[in-house]
Amino acid sequence: MKTRIKELRARYDLTQEDLARKVGVRRETIVFLEKGKYNPSLQLAHDVAKALETTIEEIFIF
Amino acid sequence: MKTESKLYQKSVIVLGIGITTLVVFTFLFYMLKEPDIGMFEIISVPIILTILLTSTFIIYDKYKNIKAGLPTQDERLKNAAYKAGYYGFVAAIWSAVGSNMGSIILFDQELRGGLVVAAVVLISGLVFMGSYFYFSRKGS
Repeated sequence: MKTRIKELRARYDLTQEDLARKVGVRRETIVFLEKGKYNPSLQLAHDVAKALETTIEEIFIF
Repeated sequence: MKTESKLYQKSVIVLGIGITTLVVFTFLFYMLKEPDIGMFEIISVPIILTILLTSTFIIYDKYKNIKAGLPTQDERLKNAAYKAGYYGFVAAIWSAVGSNMGSIILFDQELRGGLVVAAVVLISGLVFMGSYFYFSRKGS
């Protein structure tokens, strides 16, 4: 799984910690998501997409 | 994402410190009351130290996250805790059988009931902490 979290995060000038705070998860979870090492639940994927003002399919590429 | 309140997160830290302190004191009382310090008592020292160090690390990690305004637990860590709990449970079952059998094979003597209970608690605790640590740093 690939993700575009890093790219979208840069667009909004957000650090990993900022995004983690917006989504309500730990910073390490954002790190694992960016590296594609963690398969998020639908709820988490939705929350990340909402925080980055985009859709799930724009962020997570299977 | 729904996160626990700060009061709940702080309560978990206080509870963690309390349980760790109780484990250490119980072990110290046991060692002080035990007239013969044998092989089993010596073996349990590094296990207790490992549990103590790991729990200190986990508590510090939670404290650091609260300070940064982040949750101490999220869905990834909850999944890691469930998996680690499963491994800890399996370890508890096998250590109940294996500790006595191992003692007979290695030392040619059966373990006292109290020592079997101690082995089950220590081994399952160690396996839980080890696997929690591993899964929380592994990702999926």
